[in-house]
Amino acid sequence: MDVLIQQLFNGLTLGSVYSLVALGLTLVYGILHIPNFAHGALYMVGGYITLTMMTQAGLNYWIAIVVSCLVVGGLAVLMERLVFHPLRHAPAIHDKIAAIGIMLFLEALVQFIWGAEYQTMVSPYGQVVNVAGVTLTMQRLLIIVATVVVMIILYIFLKKTFTGATIIAMSQNRDGANLVGINTNRVAMLTFLVSGALAAIAVSLSAPINLVFPGMGHLVLTKAFVIIILGGMGSIPGAIVGGYILGFTEALGATYISNDYKDVIAFVILVLILTIKPNGLFAAKGGH
Amino acid sequence: MGKKKFRFLSMILIAFMFLLAACSGGGSQTSGGGSGESGGKNVVNIGYSGPLSGPAAFYGERTLNGVKMAAEEINEAGGIDIDGTKFEVKVVALDDKYLPNEAGSNAKRLIQENKTPIVFTPHSGGIFALQVFNQVDNFIIGAYSSEPDIAKAQNPLTVMIPPRYDGYLAPFTKYTMERFGKKIAFLPTASQYGKDWAEALQPYWEEKGGEVVYNSSIDFAKDTDFFTIITNALKENPDVMFIGGASEPTAKVVKQARELGFEGGFVIMDQAKLDEMKRVLGDSYELLEGSIGVLPLVDSDEPAVPDYVKKYNEKFGEDPGSEAGLNYIAMHVFAKAMEAAGSVDDPQKIRKHIQDGLDALPAEVKIYSIPSFNEKDGNFEHDLIVGAVEDGKIIHVPAE
Repeated sequence: MDVLIQQLFNGLTLGSVYSLVALGLTLVYGILHIPNFAHGALYMVGGYITLTMMTQAGLNYWIAIVVSCLVVGGLAVLMERLVFHPLRHAPAIHDKIAAIGIMLFLEALVQFIWGAEYQTMVSPYGQVVNVAGVTLTMQRLLIIVATVVVMIILYIFLKKTFTGATIIAMSQNRDGANLVGINTNRVAMLTFLVSGALAAIAVSLSAPINLVFPGMGHLVLTKAFVIIILGGMGSIPGAIVGGYILGFTEALGATYISNDYKDVIAFVILVLILTIKPNGLFAAKGGH
Repeated sequence: MGKKKFRFLSMILIAFMFLLAACSGGGSQTSGGGSGESGGKNVVNIGYSGPLSGPAAFYGERTLNGVKMAAEEINEAGGIDIDGTKFEVKVVALDDKYLPNEAGSNAKRLIQENKTPIVFTPHSGGIFALQVFNQVDNFIIGAYSSEPDIAKAQNPLTVMIPPRYDGYLAPFTKYTMERFGKKIAFLPTASQYGKDWAEALQPYWEEKGGEVVYNSSIDFAKDTDFFTIITNALKENPDVMFIGGASEPTAKVVKQARELGFEGGFVIMDQAKLDEMKRVLGDSYELLEGSIGVLPLVDSDEPAVPDYVKKYNEKFGEDPGSEAGLNYIAMHVFAKAMEAAGSVDDPQKIRKHIQDGLDALPAEVKIYSIPSFNEKDGNFEHDLIVGAVEDGKIIHVPAE
């Protein structure tokens, strides 16, 4: 029983990080209509920025996260302006190639600046908490709680504010949004900003339990792809639910079936869901 | 139409330029031949193929640092002395991105362009690839990998530098069984190397009356968090955990295992180094209490070590590990073997004089105790000493 609760907790931690990454990916999907392959690289850059802010500039963990959000958000906006915006009338394959190019560029750049070796991010929340035989660490609790808070803020922003509504409108129909007077350029930049900030938050929360290194973006990117396909491309609730589904599947699958096959289990679930709902759990309406 | 044609032509032109650049670049030098003369000086080229970019770049750089440092020392002392003629050592390094096929083509290039009598490579995949053709192409492999199959191949032109990892099975098993108990959980890295290690350890552990209660592996390239797998391993109440992989992620496994309440010992695969793991764990051996692994070079008792550590630190700004240290001593052995063989370009002769090279090694480079070379299997026979953590300090555990 203890093991079950422990694994549910582990799954929740994993799912939280996956959801945050998938959210950024799914938001940008609304603009680009392709998955942004460079999202994992943004995640990785965010890790290095937070780490550098903490170690070099001596900033507090939370302030470092804010700086990281701004820098990575800005980088994402720059990406949109310099690369994706000029390509907006080009065939979709150009966006894909450009995204892969950006990913390779950022990885090489990070390795050039910070080197290839593993680095450690020490968070101030290293304490271990034992509750009824289940081991929680403060950092993991923080991941779970912060993720929920970020999701609520994002929900309020998208559903209750005018600016948020323009993002939704544009992801549903770019031309339509333009016709009703929405400044699509501004919205595209805003979406990239939010997506970059989400990646920075995700990595800053999860990096203290692992390490910071140039390849870290790949760890989450493939999972985030699975999640947005499973949840429905471009769907926000889909990214959230999909993230938790994948987290729980990995934790419970590894426990009750086999650790060596936990990725297989995740893909079997993906196949099952797509068989029943070919567009994913929450296929975005007014699709593409 | 004209525009299209122009575009096509310019693309071809650009592609051609890249091709040219690829041909001329990369090869870091082009002096004439393995033992040719360049600028009035005799030069012997030593080849190196290892990961210098990508996720394993830091590992490749450390191994290369060892070779380079030795080469510089040899040159400072006047070079390799072949019957009165002095040869300068020049290291030619190529990047193979940790891929066996790239190592193969790099070696071909080193032989053809630089006539290197020796090619160092620091990964078992690359070594196996080179063993396919090194007798035909006539060069020695400076093999930096502890995989016993490299020696079992009995390749007459291979020199295996580190201790074979099967030598660790006995001391690791004895120490952890006596101190903690007989139940072990296997959680090594998911690489081929990790699996081979596990397959060697399991029968030995069971033969000594132990039991493997959990057997899986961690894929450091896929998993962001190890809590799930460690929870499952701890469910079986192991006394000891077998872990390993690159030092830093392995250290995170230790940390998470302790967070989940594991109080037993760790058997640490030779790929991970205790001192490098310590750096990730807040510069303290506290969490590593009861671990056994390769003795960190900085904790070695060999008289030459303190000076070497100091010199390495001045040069590269970090403590050397065995990656740098073993390649360093190997390069010195090769230089002495060339002197004993009286040749810098006959690999077979050089290989026959490796033992003489070991015997002629000056005291100040003896940072490891290597009394003999196994002519048949082609591996250095080390005086194996392993390190264990007791009361927050490294203690020496003799292998016998």
